[in-house]
Amino acid sequence: MIECRNLTKSYGELEAVSDFNLHLEEHEFLSILGPSGCGKSTLLRLIAGLEVPSKGLVLLEEVNGKNVSGPGPDRAFVFQDFALFPHLSIEKNIAYGVNGSRSEKQKRVEELLKLVSLQHLASKMPHQISGGEQQRIAVARALAPRPRLILMDEPFSNLDYKLRLQLRREIRVILKHEGVATILVTHDQVEAITFSERVLLMHKGKLVQAGTPEEIYQQPQTLWASSFVGEANHLSAEWEETSLKSPFGFLDVPAEIGKETRILMVRPEDFILVSAPDGEANGIVKTVEFSGAAQTVGVELKSGEKIQVSGSPHLLWNLEDPVKITAERYLCFNSFGDRLDGFIAK
Amino acid sequence: MKSSVHSFGSWNLLTLSLALLFALPFFSLIVTAGSGGENVWGHLLSTVMPGYLKNTFWLMLGVGSGTLLIGVSTGWLISMTEFPGRRMMEWALLLPLAFPGYIIAMVYVELLEFSGPVQEQLRLWFGWQNYMDYWFPPIASLGGAITMLSLVLFPYVYLLARTAFLQQSATLMEASRMLDKSAVNSFFMIALPLARPAIVVGVSLAMMETLADFGTMQLFAVQTFTTGIYNTWFGAYNAPGAAQLSLSLLTFISFFIFLERYSRKQQRFNTQSSIKNVHTRYHLSRVRAVLALLFCIFPVLFGFALPAGLLIQWATESWRGVMLDRFFSDAGNSILLAGVTALLGVFIGLLMAFGSRLSKRRRVHWAARLVSLGYTFPGPVVALGVLLPFAWFDRTMDAWMQETFGITTGYLLSGTLFILVFAYLVRFLALAYGTAESGLERITSNMEDVSRSLGKNTWQTLKQVHLPLLRGSVLAAGMLVFVDVMKELPATLMLQPFNFSTLATRAYGYATEELLKEASLWCLTIVVVGLFPVIFLNRQLRQTAPQN
Repeated sequence: MIECRNLTKSYGELEAVSDFNLHLEEHEFLSILGPSGCGKSTLLRLIAGLEVPSKGLVLLEEVNGKNVSGPGPDRAFVFQDFALFPHLSIEKNIAYGVNGSRSEKQKRVEELLKLVSLQHLASKMPHQISGGEQQRIAVARALAPRPRLILMDEPFSNLDYKLRLQLRREIRVILKHEGVATILVTHDQVEAITFSERVLLMHKGKLVQAGTPEEIYQQPQTLWASSFVGEANHLSAEWEETSLKSPFGFLDVPAEIGKETRILMVRPEDFILVSAPDGEANGIVKTVEFSGAAQTVGVELKSGEKIQVSGSPHLLWNLEDPVKITAERYLCFNSFGDRLDGFIAK
Repeated sequence: MKSSVHSFGSWNLLTLSLALLFALPFFSLIVTAGSGGENVWGHLLSTVMPGYLKNTFWLMLGVGSGTLLIGVSTGWLISMTEFPGRRMMEWALLLPLAFPGYIIAMVYVELLEFSGPVQEQLRLWFGWQNYMDYWFPPIASLGGAITMLSLVLFPYVYLLARTAFLQQSATLMEASRMLDKSAVNSFFMIALPLARPAIVVGVSLAMMETLADFGTMQLFAVQTFTTGIYNTWFGAYNAPGAAQLSLSLLTFISFFIFLERYSRKQQRFNTQSSIKNVHTRYHLSRVRAVLALLFCIFPVLFGFALPAGLLIQWATESWRGVMLDRFFSDAGNSILLAGVTALLGVFIGLLMAFGSRLSKRRRVHWAARLVSLGYTFPGPVVALGVLLPFAWFDRTMDAWMQETFGITTGYLLSGTLFILVFAYLVRFLALAYGTAESGLERITSNMEDVSRSLGKNTWQTLKQVHLPLLRGSVLAAGMLVFVDVMKELPATLMLQPFNFSTLATRAYGYATEELLKEASLWCLTIVVVGLFPVIFLNRQLRQTAPQN
């Protein structure tokens, strides 16, 4: 329903969003995930029409593929601070964007209050209701003019942890029920993963990777993506004659990939950790963090590199234990930090 | 409170007695107003009251809408749009505050009266012979007074509206835009209602200044309560009558005090903290940008640049002819009075603010708050309230001395500078107290506790902790009191000793003799001194402006 083509927004020298392409289906839930300052909020504001792009287009398919300029009733925005009008009651806040007669407005307000289960707050003022209630009212107000796309900018980050989980679920149900498409901007990977069907990973104004949450975790396109989503160990590697030399032994990798490989990425759970006599060991246990369900073991390899390994909570390690490390799965990256395709796991 | 660490000791006593001392004029007015009998009140009601009420009503309406229109529109343009020259206009719009109403009135009288340069030029161009041949709006009129006061009082509204617009969360306006409302719609439905409490505060302040204005009204012969009190006293020495008028005026003023306080409380809900407070300013097209700039220049031109320019011109033309020794002696008197009052005011203000803070008793807080009301009392009311008890004291003392020792003491205090300084303190102590209080608020009680736990007593704590931290506020308080005393006219007129005058009273004296050009050096000096608080305000303004 909406498409961004080569969307670029620059502030002087800085390109907050550069050459961004995006296509969203009707009813689709999409998350844009990235660290703060990566340009994700700017991208959302460009789609909303709150910012004017420096280059590129935002196309709404139903408007005969015309470029949108400025906000329109087809898109609604939910702000991080909710932005409820403090001088208007809850009903009036919701009715604000509804066009039509008094009774039509009244009907729509009642409908939406029922949808978010807050009928009893109709006549209250925003400062009289809780943060979670404000959040739901903000969503109701955004839905009031019957938009087809809801844009949400870190909508849950102002709430405490428990409330966040609960509201994320509730609001997802409400939005699905209304049949709108949604773009959620967040820096929280769990939020992105649980809220949406598709995640766009963004870094320094650019699209790094698009895919399902599993795809991004299992097959990160860049070293940066590997450590932004999940934990990652980065280890140096070098091609020697016929195989790839790594801190945990020689690896059997096709030559065309191995020759390019400079860095290996291994998830903590993909290491195998066994105790070994001094002669066979390639590392020494330096830290042990026990957290109930799992145990994170810090190992210093003979090469001097330090890695984090997830171990079973049943095997207890002691500091200075000599260990032998091997990797079950690893990914190869070139000197630019890009993943070398065609080779994923051992 | 029994658990209170501080017993009802010397601090409470000191604070309470100071508060009572400076509330003395208020009580003396009540006593005097009641002493005249019913016929005085009835007489006032049937003679002067209707006129005062009518003029006051039109003044309120006129100055209210004038300051509202200029203040809100310039405040909006400065805070929400971008146009060339905006940064300069941001502070230039405060400049009219440097003009006391009576001085701008004097300048415009000189400029626009029948024999003034404007009408002369018009007669020359159109060949008019005398005033029968044409109509020219009379400057010395109710309309003239409204225009003058609107021109110098609108910065109150501008300042508060601007800050209110800037402090509104930027996302609110964006939320309105996302709900498909135009900029004009969003302004009237969101920005303006949210800024309303602040705007009401600004207009209330302007209204209180209008009610308290004496010089402009007297020069333009507009009869109001303030001029009425002065004339009832000096014309007829009718103390009960003047006191009753004072109380009626205070009733009006208390309405605006209430409105102002109430609106300040309302403001709290409308300025919620927000993540994104930096607004994207509306970029104006070239034509609109020029219009916006002109719109902002207009009030600065007529409220400051033009009158200041004329004063400079007249002063350079006339200074050789004026008696410079007279000027220097008047300036010396003004500086002496202002300096002494500022020092005493800051000292007493600090004592009271500190005492009120130490005390956990409501009585003490209320007493301290009573003092801050003095600032809302118009000059003639304060002068009358101070004059009456001291005159009574002098008479009683004299009678007693004659009876007991057979010597006459005459007027011991009346007609001395002591009374004048006391009246200034009643009127302006609130400035020093308020500034000291808000400065103290920034010092947490933990700091006091730390100092005490390290074995320092109250005095040592005040000297070593509070004063160094308060230095900025204390200097500001002293400056504000100093400048206000320099500008003060009616109380000085009523209380100054014989053969004594200040810059303000001499300038006013010249004006009443239609020697306005001679007064220009005096006026100019007052305006220049009046610029200091404007510079101070401007520094605060910078702090409230978010960087973008």
